[in-house]
Amino acid sequence: KAKIMATGKTVIEEEDLQNHLDDLELALLSSDVEMSVANEILSGVEENLTGETRRRLSSTGNLVRDALREALFDVISVGQFDFDERVQTADKPVVIIFTGVNGVGKTTTIAKLSQYFEDRGLSTVLANGDTYRAGANEQLEKHAQNLGKKIITHEQGSDPTAVVYDAVEYAKANDVDVVLGDTAGRLHTSDDLMAQLAKIDRNIDPDMTLFVDEAVAGQDAVNRAREFDDAAEIDGAILTKADADPQGGAAISVAHVTGKPILFLGTGQGYDDLESFDPEAIVDSLFDE
Amino acid sequence: MVLDNLGSSLRGTLDNLRGKSRISEEDIEDIVKEIQRSLLQADVDVALVQELSDNIETRALEEEPPAGTTPRDWVLRIVYEELVDMVGESTDLPLEEQTIMLAGLYGSGKTTTAAKMAWWFSTKGLRPAIIQTDTDRPGAYDQSKEMADRAEVDFYGDPDEDDPVKIARDGLEATEEADVRIVDTAGRDGLNEELIEQIERIEAEVKPDRNLLVLDAAMGQSAKSQAADFQEAIGIDGVVITKLDGTAKGGGALAAVDETDSTIAFLGSGETVKDIERFEPSGFISRLLGMGDLKQLTERV
Ligand SMILES: Nc1nc2c(ncn2[C@@H]2O[C@H](COP(=O)(O)OP(=O)(O)OP(=O)(O)O)[C@@H](O)[C@H]2O)c(=O)[nH]1
Ligand SMILES: Nc1nc2c(ncn2[C@@H]2O[C@H](COP(=O)(O)OP(=O)(O)OP(=O)(O)O)[C@@H](O)[C@H]2O)c(=O)[nH]1
Ligand SMILES: [Mg+2]
Ligand SMILES: [Mg+2]
Repeated sequence: KAKIMATGKTVIEEEDLQNHLDDLELALLSSDVEMSVANEILSGVEENLTGETRRRLSSTGNLVRDALREALFDVISVGQFDFDERVQTADKPVVIIFTGVNGVGKTTTIAKLSQYFEDRGLSTVLANGDTYRAGANEQLEKHAQNLGKKIITHEQGSDPTAVVYDAVEYAKANDVDVVLGDTAGRLHTSDDLMAQLAKIDRNIDPDMTLFVDEAVAGQDAVNRAREFDDAAEIDGAILTKADADPQGGAAISVAHVTGKPILFLGTGQGYDDLESFDPEAIVDSLFDE
Repeated sequence: MVLDNLGSSLRGTLDNLRGKSRISEEDIEDIVKEIQRSLLQADVDVALVQELSDNIETRALEEEPPAGTTPRDWVLRIVYEELVDMVGESTDLPLEEQTIMLAGLYGSGKTTTAAKMAWWFSTKGLRPAIIQTDTDRPGAYDQSKEMADRAEVDFYGDPDEDDPVKIARDGLEATEEADVRIVDTAGRDGLNEELIEQIERIEAEVKPDRNLLVLDAAMGQSAKSQAADFQEAIGIDGVVITKLDGTAKGGGALAAVDETDSTIAFLGSGETVKDIERFEPSGFISRLLGMGDLKQLTERV
């Protein structure tokens, strides 16, 4: 001990560390990081810090915060890949299917991405695989009309796989670069509807499946991310409504349970309100209070 | 698919009390900790959880259980009472002529809830009408009209008009015959000043008898600040929790009720017009804690 003191270092006391960890757990929960995810991240931090020496100048609090920041960054930056490059270099048409629970923003995000691709010189066709909800066809049709895009729809009640299939055929015949396939919102507890997603996945074999969730989601984000990933394996996630909840701890939960990257943030209802996801910025927002 | 073993650790902790004739301070601490965990996992506001657990702890330590009550049942009853105190009874909804406006975040379920509520009022022998004022979301008119058809109720909307206040005014006139007028509004959030100002203008035109805040059961900790913002803008008289057919517990409603000094009116649990029921505290609290019928348990006491 004397030697450590002499070099200006001291060992972190377990109790001191525990108090800081407890505070940070509450901070993470207040930002909507799911409880088991928060605990797993914090126990990683604890493991790394226990018995660690620290310079006497910096407090345990700062040390723990820094360690947590790093741990969160590791979680949130998982699997990041260059989305634009992947789409640009893939064989055309690139088929992307969007999944997620009711009302999170799938349809709006598809409209935004259609604009996004156009800005990058890629043509798109929209496929309305939501053959279930009232007004779903009209909603996507209106978006397609606003954006000047081709849309494929079938009657309400028909098979969503067939709609996406038709859109892929259309894209092949007309040299369209990207097929954006919408699906009806569904809760992960509905076995029938989840099986229907699996069927689309099997029959269409899309190039990418993107899971859409909202920044305002709380603890349940973990359940649905896991269930949707199980039903139709996802390649990445999009977090909408970040304008309504800048904290977005749901991003941590989703990235942690799926091990897949968050690719975009939705930041409003306009077609330009889509940002590429920046892991650093989310970690900053979690710490800035 | 085992998604839900939530609450089982709370049950376990409570079961440890079985057969004990006195509870120690330590027992109570353990229970309170488990209750905190359950509530936090149900998206109850962090500060509210703290307040609740302090109350439960104090009462469990200070109050004497009635004779013949086991410590386990006593603690359960305290937990139940404190939660009932917080969520309150179902929002009072007289079966008479009235105008109800729905407000809430993007995609929370307002349009679906409008149709469900209209259907519900029609089963009570009243004549409902839906007025759709959403001019922002593409297809809002068609969605709302189709839902009104499914509910077999009157409907007013104007897909060519882009002023929601005018639609509201015309809608009130067009639906004069109806007993209950349900005014649906576009999704918005408290941080968006333009949209908040818009709903203030709609509210001033409609002068509803009640404003209900429609809340997604999966909403996280921001339920509190969102509810506070809606309260400040238009005043909230009741909360509707939607999408309870999933695994989300709807704990955000506690903060919403607390912030708006209101109660919960309806629960939604599906996409069809019939998937609605009036709020009832005991079932909801059991769900929050992930436990069976708490009321029944506490009635034994
Ligand atoms: N403020 C904001 N609103 C959004 C965002 N993304 C979507 N919305 C709004 O959220 C609501 C629901 O969006 P939709 O695109 O219809 O959601 P969905 O997932 O397709 O819904 P279902 O098909 O019914 O399951 C609409 O009012 C959108 O305008 C966003 O990033 N920010
Ligand atoms: N499973 C389930 N889905 C629901 C429930 N209530 C609404 N939904 C679905 O949630 C999605 C959004 O519902 P809407 O009624 O369009 O929500 P909204 O609040 O009007 O949306 P905006 O007008 O865009 O703000 C739709 O897919 C609905 O079918 C519910 O209780 N359970
Ligand atoms: Mg949709
Ligand atoms: Mg609506």
